[in-house]
Amino acid sequence: MARRDFCNRTRREFLWETGAGFGAAALTGMLDSDGFFGSAACAEESLSVETTPLYPKPTTLPPKAKNVIFLFMYGGPSHIDTFDYKPDMVGMDNKTVAVDTFGRGGKKSQGRIVEPRWQFKQHGKCGKWVSQLFPHIGCCVDDIAFLHSMTADSPIHGSAMLMMNSGKLISGSPALGSWITYGLGSPNQNLPGFVVMLDPSGGPISGAKNWSSGYMPAIYQGATFKHEGSPVLNLSRPKGTTRELQRDMLDTLALINQRHMATRSDNSDLAARIASYELAYKMQMSAPEAVDFSQESPSTLKMYGVGRKPTHHFGVQCLLARRLVERGVRFIQLYSGGNHIDYNWDAHGDLVHNHSKHAGETDQPIAALLQDLKQRGMLEETLIVWGGEFGRQPTAEYAKGTGRDHNSYGFTMWLAGGGIKGGISIGSTDELGSRAVERPITVKELHATILHQMGIDPNQLSYFYNGLDQKLVGVEPVSPIHEVIA
Amino acid sequence: MTKDFHQLYLLRIGAACLAIALTCQFDAIANPITDAFQEVQSLLAARCFSCHGPDKAESGLALHKQALAHAESESGLHAIVPGKPKASELLRRVNSDDEHERMPLEGEPLKPQEIELLRQWILDGAKYEKHWAFVPPKRHSTPVVEQSGWVRNPIDTFILRRLERHGLRPSPPAEGRVLARRLYYDLTGLPPTISELNNFLSDERPDAYERLVDKLLNSPRYGEKWARHWLDVVRYAESNSFERDSTKPFAWKYRDYVIRSLNEDKPYDQFIREQLAGDELDEVTKDTITATGYYRLGTWDDEPADTLQARYDDLDNIVSTTGQAFLGLTVGCARCHDHKIDPIPQADYYKLLAFFADVTPYAMPRNNDVKLNSLWDCSPPEAAQKRERLAQRENQLDEQARKFEDQAIRKMSATDQNRSETDAREELLQEKIHKYLSPKEFQEYSEIKAQLSSIQLQQNELAPADWVLSLAKCEPNPRSTHVMYRGNPHVPGKEVEPGFPELFGGATANIPPQSGDARSTGRRRVLANWIASPNNMLTARVIANRVWQHHFGRGIVRSASNFGRLGSPPTHPELLDWLAFYLIDHQWRLKPLHRLILLSNAYQMASSADPSGLAIDPANDLFWRFNMRRLTAEEIRDSVLYVSGELNEEHYGPSIYPELSQEVLATQSRPGHDWHTSNRRDASRRSIYIHIKRSLIVPEMLLFDFPETDTSCEARFNTTQAAQALNLLHGDFMQTQAKYLAERVVREVGDDTLAQLRHTLRLVLLREPDSQTLSECLDLIGTLQVEHGLNEHDALVQCCLMVYSTNEFVFLD
Repeated sequence: MARRDFCNRTRREFLWETGAGFGAAALTGMLDSDGFFGSAACAEESLSVETTPLYPKPTTLPPKAKNVIFLFMYGGPSHIDTFDYKPDMVGMDNKTVAVDTFGRGGKKSQGRIVEPRWQFKQHGKCGKWVSQLFPHIGCCVDDIAFLHSMTADSPIHGSAMLMMNSGKLISGSPALGSWITYGLGSPNQNLPGFVVMLDPSGGPISGAKNWSSGYMPAIYQGATFKHEGSPVLNLSRPKGTTRELQRDMLDTLALINQRHMATRSDNSDLAARIASYELAYKMQMSAPEAVDFSQESPSTLKMYGVGRKPTHHFGVQCLLARRLVERGVRFIQLYSGGNHIDYNWDAHGDLVHNHSKHAGETDQPIAALLQDLKQRGMLEETLIVWGGEFGRQPTAEYAKGTGRDHNSYGFTMWLAGGGIKGGISIGSTDELGSRAVERPITVKELHATILHQMGIDPNQLSYFYNGLDQKLVGVEPVSPIHEVIA
Repeated sequence: MTKDFHQLYLLRIGAACLAIALTCQFDAIANPITDAFQEVQSLLAARCFSCHGPDKAESGLALHKQALAHAESESGLHAIVPGKPKASELLRRVNSDDEHERMPLEGEPLKPQEIELLRQWILDGAKYEKHWAFVPPKRHSTPVVEQSGWVRNPIDTFILRRLERHGLRPSPPAEGRVLARRLYYDLTGLPPTISELNNFLSDERPDAYERLVDKLLNSPRYGEKWARHWLDVVRYAESNSFERDSTKPFAWKYRDYVIRSLNEDKPYDQFIREQLAGDELDEVTKDTITATGYYRLGTWDDEPADTLQARYDDLDNIVSTTGQAFLGLTVGCARCHDHKIDPIPQADYYKLLAFFADVTPYAMPRNNDVKLNSLWDCSPPEAAQKRERLAQRENQLDEQARKFEDQAIRKMSATDQNRSETDAREELLQEKIHKYLSPKEFQEYSEIKAQLSSIQLQQNELAPADWVLSLAKCEPNPRSTHVMYRGNPHVPGKEVEPGFPELFGGATANIPPQSGDARSTGRRRVLANWIASPNNMLTARVIANRVWQHHFGRGIVRSASNFGRLGSPPTHPELLDWLAFYLIDHQWRLKPLHRLILLSNAYQMASSADPSGLAIDPANDLFWRFNMRRLTAEEIRDSVLYVSGELNEEHYGPSIYPELSQEVLATQSRPGHDWHTSNRRDASRRSIYIHIKRSLIVPEMLLFDFPETDTSCEARFNTTQAAQALNLLHGDFMQTQAKYLAERVVREVGDDTLAQLRHTLRLVLLREPDSQTLSECLDLIGTLQVEHGLNEHDALVQCCLMVYSTNEFVFLD
């Protein structure tokens, strides 16, 4: 073949010279502010406000939090075995009581009590009773606001998951993380604004529907993120493609694209698409950098339980969550549990086995996350949400055994950081924990609280679709849970 | 259930809506209709209706109806005195400096331009004009234009007339290559081959272009391209969503029905009748039965917490989709309350819903048996009847067996009870059921099981059923339909009969009485006939607009499924009416309409910018040039396959499953579940044949703005994201296709690098490569080999991958 000498013109220089011509300078400073790339690299940036839906937007209320970490205990942890202390139930095991329940087994009016299977102990200055399932989280109760009177609209996983994630029982609406990135944009364009991390056993039921952007553009959907392998989908270069090789390839691509654009300069989509390749190139640096723990001290790794069973996986994810928050990712959702039944908190069979496993995997990492954020001064601006799609019944599901069916009439979730009062508990369930009695809280109120802390008026954030101003919290005004706001 | 959920659809106008209303303001260019009232109404709705509107009339003033707004209020003053802004109390109050007097009392004061809008409107008589779309279309004569030389057909007169008025010239004609590429993609979703392109360019006959239009309209690829537009509108997918997201069996037959209907140029009115009432027509065929698959496409919760609510959610999905798809109306907004902006009272919603009262649920809750309601056996009647009898017997026996099983399972350990809910159920029962039944019971149970086996054998001997996903079972005597209080199905109000929305003049629906053995109510047929009537003021306009939309990149009405007041007004209303009548006059066939549009000079304009055009009409509301567009997800994937030589052009049939990476499958609760990866040949079929699993959309589709599958999509987004670039650079699909392209190139032109590059560029970009591009690619090949140590072939593969990423490949001029 007619082999030619390598062309020694530096393509990159050429690219930067031409590339700087069509961009919006406004963004350069913003991109620079993430601290990961020097201004020289940003000079080629050609994203503009119009072509970057994730461009940071001003908040409508003074924000208390800048980021959210949602620790999703998929399957539905039992509140009376974790944080909702029911001392009166001790000794009532196997007694039949009249109690209205509604789970996957339908509606029942009586059942056999399964008394809480763990001892409770008081913790912190606030003296909060926490079960032995969570000795580590027990140490953090002074930073936590417990919501003991959560209610959900469905006791069935599929619809309840959608409710907790998107505020609707039916699929097709954007997830909470989509609403937040839609409302606020994202300060770091080199990483997704909405990140989801899954359990090794698989996703939750309904899979990607839980982080879908619904009727909003796909840019607002959650991106699954991993510590092992390629952090985001298609991020890893295929075997044999080095970073330098790709740089040369992208430089040639840019030359061809620039020439194509020269006679079509009024079409900003072309510039945006050129820029998207540069962004893709940068993400290959920024995402692996985010998942690289080599700069973390051994004590930090130990604190999160990294490298040890059974905490390794969730520990890695919690540590990763902190690192993503440091890098400006708006909304991070971690799933404890995946797949079906005992791969998650869905304790239909053996409650002790199930909850010991999942609490054992998550207790230490979650406590580490809270403490680590706090010691770094980040907890104030990071809102932590803990909970599942519902709780569990006080009574047994079957004639034998300790399995509990689903319970959406009353359950516990908790919030910490991000302008939330610590060491308090609000609402309560009845003496069996079968339903919320004092100050029932809806999922919409929880969503409203999260939006409010992020500086978004939950009743104003809307997206016009299907002839309506759609809102995460629905059309009736919803107030945040004021009692927990510091 | 909490109260909020039932109020989901209550229309509230918040500040954000105002923002939308205001950004929807169109200047004179965009809005030839003097519909100042549309803006006024949006403003009144956003800022005034909460106290002076349909729900409340404080101080005796309501502003949502002309008579009320013009009337004397309790204070004895007139809020509005038509023609006299100075005498109008409303204007004084919005202008007041006294914050106790100034209206609106809450929120920011009105902006000066908003006050001016109101002043002008009052000066002009404060008329509550009828919305353009709710006035029946007129047969307009084609306008007179100055540069009649430019006019190729009547469409051009409507376009040119407005351009001339604004001092604009139409862009010059697109060059042949650009036009051919545009036309191929528009009609077939694929590019031309080099030889097809050259044939066209060298065809000097005066009607060469016209011949090409006809050739492509007659290509089976036309249906494969245009069916997808319809599938977006009817939110087509092949699974149910929710926890199990189970597959909808034979949904693909509906997809094939749409493709076939388009290829056969089935009249659109017939297309409507078949989908809405294919089981109630005079002549019911397999085709019309398949069309009723329309009712089975939506999401379906197999385990609803509230069965009644779920049932009404499903019906709502049908009413909403039908309203948007066929009528361009967002009737779904009236589920809980009267529509605040469009004249759609809540009762109208339920009158429409009553037409669908005989539509059975997809399947019974907590039962995945789709056969009963949704699968129709279209095999010869005798075999079908025999199969039906066997199925009934099987159901009875199943039920009997189930009783024994449940009885035994209740006595098992919790672990085993749990196991009985998994795939291991049969295994468990075989192993242990005898322990939990008395000998007599067990014997009985065993006999039932033996009979079941024998039935299964008999079933296997029959020729396979020809199942069609459809409205296989209807409820001929449905319960009455009621207006549900605030949309809550647990609080039924006034009873309603099937009826047409008031805004159409309030004609009553005459449902012919049905015979005693009727399988359905006959209501849907009445609805279908009413929608598919040339006298329906919206139907023809809505579909004509969709056809225009997919040729020009946007509709004459941009909000293609919302012709109401909250939608965008038409930029060329008379043209829209004219096209609607053209369609009706041509037996509702789409192909003549396509042809007319494609043969217009308006369609054949270049997309290049012109300074005066950009200055006067930057949004191209007047169509002074053609709109560039990015290829759709399907077009990108199909073109990549086509150019690499891999595309398998088999038409129709069951869906295919492209290979998904482990990381994509890991998002499922059971990774890999229900994803039956196809072999290489099948996986290379066109994208319209990809299985659409609601919770697992193929990344090559999802990333490039494939529509949300659960609700009707009128127009896709057009996003640009880094994830798209990553997919094209790193995704397995692209990596593989780049290899195939390189192999094809070597096969076709041999070993010479320059020839290889030239051929690659020609294949992908469909033009002779310019010397600069060629030399840059040559440089790249050199760098890849010298600096990065790639061999010749791998360097070519990388180059192929790069060329697939060019904007020139992905955008149409």
